[in-house]
Amino acid sequence: MNVKTSTLPKPFHQAVLRWKEVFLPDYDFLLENWDKHFPNDSEFQLCAYRELGMCSEIECGDLKGKPKFQKAGEMIPEQAHHLFGAIRAQASTEFGSIQQHRLTLARAQEEEEQFWILRMMAEELRHGYQMLHLLVEDDWSSVSKESASDLIEDVLSMNTGSHLLGAFNIDFDSFVDNVVFCALIDRVGKYQLAMQKISAYKPMAESMPQMLREEAFHLAAGVVPMRRWATAAARGETFVTMEVLQKAINKWLPRGLEMFGDERGGGTNVRFGLKPMKNAEAQAQFYQEVEKLVRDLNLRYLRARIADLTHAGSEEALDRVLAGETVAGVRREDLLYVPAMEFFRRRGVPAFRLVGAQGETFATVAEYLQHLIRTLPEAYRASRDFKDYVEGLTAVEEGRMTAEQAAGRMPALRRVAGACPCSKSVRWMVDDPAAVTAVSAAGPAVGQPVA
Amino acid sequence: MTETAAGIRIRPLDELDISAIVAIDEAISGRYRPEVWERRISYYLRRAPEASLVAEVDGKVAGFMLGEVRSGEFGLEEPTGWIEVLGVDPAQRGKALGRKMAEGMLEHFRTQGAHSVRTLVDEEREDILTFFSSLGFEPAGLRPFVKHL
Repeated sequence: MNVKTSTLPKPFHQAVLRWKEVFLPDYDFLLENWDKHFPNDSEFQLCAYRELGMCSEIECGDLKGKPKFQKAGEMIPEQAHHLFGAIRAQASTEFGSIQQHRLTLARAQEEEEQFWILRMMAEELRHGYQMLHLLVEDDWSSVSKESASDLIEDVLSMNTGSHLLGAFNIDFDSFVDNVVFCALIDRVGKYQLAMQKISAYKPMAESMPQMLREEAFHLAAGVVPMRRWATAAARGETFVTMEVLQKAINKWLPRGLEMFGDERGGGTNVRFGLKPMKNAEAQAQFYQEVEKLVRDLNLRYLRARIADLTHAGSEEALDRVLAGETVAGVRREDLLYVPAMEFFRRRGVPAFRLVGAQGETFATVAEYLQHLIRTLPEAYRASRDFKDYVEGLTAVEEGRMTAEQAAGRMPALRRVAGACPCSKSVRWMVDDPAAVTAVSAAGPAVGQPVA
Repeated sequence: MTETAAGIRIRPLDELDISAIVAIDEAISGRYRPEVWERRISYYLRRAPEASLVAEVDGKVAGFMLGEVRSGEFGLEEPTGWIEVLGVDPAQRGKALGRKMAEGMLEHFRTQGAHSVRTLVDEEREDILTFFSSLGFEPAGLRPFVKHL
């Protein structure tokens, strides 16, 4: 394995360090305790890694077999525009997740799990740094009029509410969110990174392998605590019940599905050689993985609830419970389920449909809202994000807007003046639906999945 | 990721393999130890997610092999691959899953700069000794010692 290490030019590196002081204040604490929690692991470094010796030919699309692009300027403008949007969105997600995780990191019940998340946050910082490196190292003037410093400033000034993808604009309410976010939203991240590993833009492809290695642990940092909580819930030993886990899954899975972009899209990225799969194909694979995760959690729960079950016996018992039978006191409603793909969606084909968590449909908004009250976390329902969703849903149902207009209308925090990462000069802004539709037609708008 | 034969696939370990590995261990040892494997697999995913492998038969995990490259162990300064634990579902033995995983792991170790691979085997486990011998492993100059406390 041949890896090249580099850092951003000093002013930009310093800007990331300043951002880190604001949004990742436990960074130094992590490094001081690194050997205690991660003995013999290589010391963490804030830098960009490029894997050398990767495939030099475009691996999919119209230009398959041609040499990969070393510079954005070698690409046609539309291709470079798509790529630029993807890098900027990726950068936004990396920094955005740190801003979310920091809110509830201190509430972890177990030190081990807290340090897993803290390490993950540091690695997300490195991933964001890696994306900034791509923005700074190349000349993007064919697709953006912004200077390198403006591009960096733009990303570093985003906050929860102004990030490009919806999943990164939702506050965490408890450490359950830290964990479930890792298990679900980082799983989408894994898909995006794996797809970008074949990018026709060689610097992007070379950036992915180390990010993917780190992402493997981020998923474990979500899945393992969920498994432990399911076990503890079965034994009645914990504060994290299966109901709490289910509601957190219901909160995050719809946003994860939307991160793949509209189900009808993604063909352009494939044609341009930027990704090997269209949105719907990647989304379906992701959904299958979540089904496996939830089945594993249910098996873990059953083994803890019912003494003397074998592995084969637990599989059989699970199938019986899922079929509606009560087995040794375990009922179907005691277990977790994967919310329907159409549930609680605000973008894509099922946006603003009245589809329940288990695929059931509702005739009126009022009935649907009652369902959401039962299926979503209480703290989340008190959020601005949920209120905006309800307003959009109501407007769509009353025929005042199309689902696409309502999706574009979801408010976002915008920088209205100033550039400092800790600037208070942001306001909730709501786009005019007509303007949003026009922007959407031209390219990715704020809040629209890129891809 | 490697397709080695019809229905058999060797791929890197991931966090959703925990349940299958717990089940294989249980089938071999008779002990249900999910906590052990959750921690252990987290360790390997953190350290070297591409090094550790699982074997799938018809889409189901039927074997696993965990290991990594380390330097400085027991005075061995050069990068050395270590195969630390392996298991194959007893119902799936005879399909050379262990060999296929070992070939994949050794190839990965080579790309990491390792020139040798080591492991420790219980002398009473003839089957494991035979397995490693068939892969070209031979007794090394390091002897294990233990003191019970």
